[in-house]
Amino acid sequence: MKVFAVIPAYREAGRIEKTIASVLSYVDGVIVVDDGSPDTTAEEARTTGVRVLRHRVNRGQGAALRTGTEAALRLGADIVLHVDADGQHDPTSIPTVLEPIRRGEVDVVLGSRFMGEEAQGMPATRRLLLIAGRTFNAFAVGVPRRVTDPQSGFRALSAAAARRLDFRQDRFAHCSEILRLVTRGEYRWVEVPVRIIYSADSLKKGQKPWDAARIAWQLFLGAFAR
Amino acid sequence: MLIQLILVGTMVLALIMTWRRFSERVVSLREALFWSILWLAAASAVMLPWVTSRIAQFVGVGRGADLVIYASVSILFLLVFKLFVQHEKLERKLTELVRHDALRDLVDSTSSPREK
Repeated sequence: MKVFAVIPAYREAGRIEKTIASVLSYVDGVIVVDDGSPDTTAEEARTTGVRVLRHRVNRGQGAALRTGTEAALRLGADIVLHVDADGQHDPTSIPTVLEPIRRGEVDVVLGSRFMGEEAQGMPATRRLLLIAGRTFNAFAVGVPRRVTDPQSGFRALSAAAARRLDFRQDRFAHCSEILRLVTRGEYRWVEVPVRIIYSADSLKKGQKPWDAARIAWQLFLGAFAR
Repeated sequence: MLIQLILVGTMVLALIMTWRRFSERVVSLREALFWSILWLAAASAVMLPWVTSRIAQFVGVGRGADLVIYASVSILFLLVFKLFVQHEKLERKLTELVRHDALRDLVDSTSSPREK
């Protein structure tokens, strides 16, 4: 089975090469989508020899993921793997994420930080925010409470699922949107434990507590913008 | 009262502007008529406050002026929300354009040297 990793990247100069190198040994191809970074993210990614697509204007992580997913499908991917560019997703978890699809058991695999694999360096505020996010997802977005991680970006899709999954949230709300589409649609899905490594850098760039309100607003607006 | 004069004066100006735009063919006859009715209705409400007071009493609001303010805030809220939705739709169209442009760089025939 041909596996393509899609890495959306914005302002990841200095980090992107390392992330690509760590992911490459687990997949058949990597597609980096540079989301209009003003720095040298795209140039650095190109030096690794993987495919690099570029959004001329910054459109957000969700938009970049969708561009990369479409590219992977056009290149004949059987499995599309979504990985963050900042190195938070421990590449040694990749085989765990891919395995259920390889075995033909499910269409979508969602990586979770709360299933036993201890996240490295996760601040208490982030943990609290994620617990609140889970409750919000259950009540406002309609994601079942058995989904343990409300904001995981570490996931794999079979080609058929990737083709059908019509996620349109351009910015951070895409995580909740994908969860809703997957858990409420006719997909076979499973959550698996993944290891996340938080660093000072990734925390600085990552989501802030007040982003939760922004995500809620984007999801609400998205319901009217179809 | 002075406030009535100022408000009616503004509406008369708006009416004149509307028909001027019609003569310049910027707005259609239908649009001009719609706006004229709106301005005239507003002017009538200002000149004959008992009309709005009667309506206000009917719907359970104390004064006619309050009714006008409540209605204006509601309408403004709806308009702003509509603008937000339109903005979101535009953003999505922009994303589609940017994506289309990015995917043009994808050359299907030759594989990247790092692909297995």
